[in-house]
Amino acid sequence: MTAYDVHELMVTRVAAEVDEDGVTVMGSFTPLAYASYMLAKLTHAPRAYLAGFDAVGMSPIQLSFTGAEAAAYKGAVCRWGMLTEINSIHLSNHGGVEAVSSAQFDGDGAINLSTIGPFDKPKVRLPGGAGAAEVIKMYRKMIAYFGNHSSRTLVDKVEFVTGTRWKVGAESRRQAGLQPGPIIVVTNLAVLVKDEDDQPFRIESVHPGVDPQVVVDNTGFALDVPSDVPVTAEPTAKQLELLRTKIDPFGTVKFDFLSGKERLQYLESILDAEWKRAEATVR
Amino acid sequence: MTSPSADKVVPLQALGGLVPDGASVAFGGGWFANHPMAAVRQLIRAGRKDLHAITVVGSVDMDLLAAADVLGHLSFSMVTLEAFGLAPNVRRTIESGTLPFTEYTGLGMLIGLEAQGRGMPFLPYRGPFGSDLPARYPEIYATTNCPFTGEELTAVRALQPDVAIVHALRCDAEGNAQWDGTSGPDVDMAKAAKRVIVTCEEIVDRPVIVENPHMTKLPGYYVHAVIEAPFGAHPTSHIPRYAMDAWQLMDYAGQAGTDAITDYVARIRSESEDDYRARVLTGRGDVLAALVDVAETLEGANL
Repeated sequence: MTAYDVHELMVTRVAAEVDEDGVTVMGSFTPLAYASYMLAKLTHAPRAYLAGFDAVGMSPIQLSFTGAEAAAYKGAVCRWGMLTEINSIHLSNHGGVEAVSSAQFDGDGAINLSTIGPFDKPKVRLPGGAGAAEVIKMYRKMIAYFGNHSSRTLVDKVEFVTGTRWKVGAESRRQAGLQPGPIIVVTNLAVLVKDEDDQPFRIESVHPGVDPQVVVDNTGFALDVPSDVPVTAEPTAKQLELLRTKIDPFGTVKFDFLSGKERLQYLESILDAEWKRAEATVR
Repeated sequence: MTSPSADKVVPLQALGGLVPDGASVAFGGGWFANHPMAAVRQLIRAGRKDLHAITVVGSVDMDLLAAADVLGHLSFSMVTLEAFGLAPNVRRTIESGTLPFTEYTGLGMLIGLEAQGRGMPFLPYRGPFGSDLPARYPEIYATTNCPFTGEELTAVRALQPDVAIVHALRCDAEGNAQWDGTSGPDVDMAKAAKRVIVTCEEIVDRPVIVENPHMTKLPGYYVHAVIEAPFGAHPTSHIPRYAMDAWQLMDYAGQAGTDAITDYVARIRSESEDDYRARVLTGRGDVLAALVDVAETLEGANL
């Protein structure tokens, strides 16, 4: 077994949900989600149909902060704009696997990307949800990922519902004209799944070495804990090699797992490497 | 509708005269891609006030306008500096209650623009059911029903900006504008707005447009003014010409939440766009272009 970091396990677990059914729009450059889709495309789901920025039907790309957008266009078969994408993918029920993160997430599958504190006079004005308000409802699978599994993020009820899964169970989703599919939460501790409206999230697996009680203690909503909790599959040597050497050689995914000064220094070091690679071609 | 044969080219310095104080202005681009930043800087230089900015996914464009006290209202579905953090000046002005705002859902804003572009007062869609946002804005979102099946739907009101400002790759004097990379919401903002201003990397003769007509996403009859602004999206990207300038963005993010932002804005105000380019791009512009060239796809899944 090759040693790995937890962000790599999260990537492989999210990647395992990516399949070849439907179309996924990735939107802004969120390294963990991008890495997961690329890994799936290079392994079990080569026909996974992806759109990034306005590039539709992308090839897999190498991740970088400054190059992801340009790379997305290079192998793509089509260029659309935002309105064509939402009409042709989201609203027409072609959405496949949506991976999101948020400031708060709750046991109903609601996200808060709007505000901490009163909406009109926020304590913290968050960025807003962009298309997530609608999209997390529409896509076949909703994956929510969090690098820091905490009851401050995984809360009983979000302070403000920017968007929500709305209907969860397969039958209630079908009746509402939505594709049936689960909510899957992937964190640095565990994988949680919800596939019924009136049942809580259950712990699908804990990562190696994690006590299920720690997951319960750090989750703000009720969890169903099976008597025997499986352990999350670890990344394989092949997956790690693809991630480290092909998909994310600059290490963009790890960036979101750092905080404070270390985070800024790490970003500077990645950008320095990206700059030098480009500069070498023109100097 | 403008005269299709008119020469609409004006210098960037004329922009302030085309956008009155208090106007609602849709700004194109999305994420760190293709925001009309030369126009943003010029509106700051022109001393515009109380603009109602409209953005789908804004970033440094909205934050800089907030820092320079140009905004009277902000309509958005997201504003973020992504890896560089939350947008400090948008945050500060909203949290202090000095910047009135409207938070749209992302699809809702685009459908509002689509409605206006199609001459409809509203459009229905399967909306953000369960979201707390629609109830906040009964003047924008309402519940309606399908007249045939009775299905409950969300109606979103047509959104008509006074002005749309978008940044294109190239454009001719008639306003026929072409994009090759990210165009985001640009075309639909333009179709919804009363007046459209296109800034572009270069103004070209009509035959250059005719050579690749499939790249023309906005025909000239929508367009009122054409402004040449090389590196006009900087420090955001304009694919395929240049990548986002992450280093300038990091510099901005480092100052944006501090007192240093006053000097940052003052410098923008005091320099011309030529000065700006010379200051931030000398010895760097070719590397920003090379970042596009070196971006890689991966072998193995081009089936």
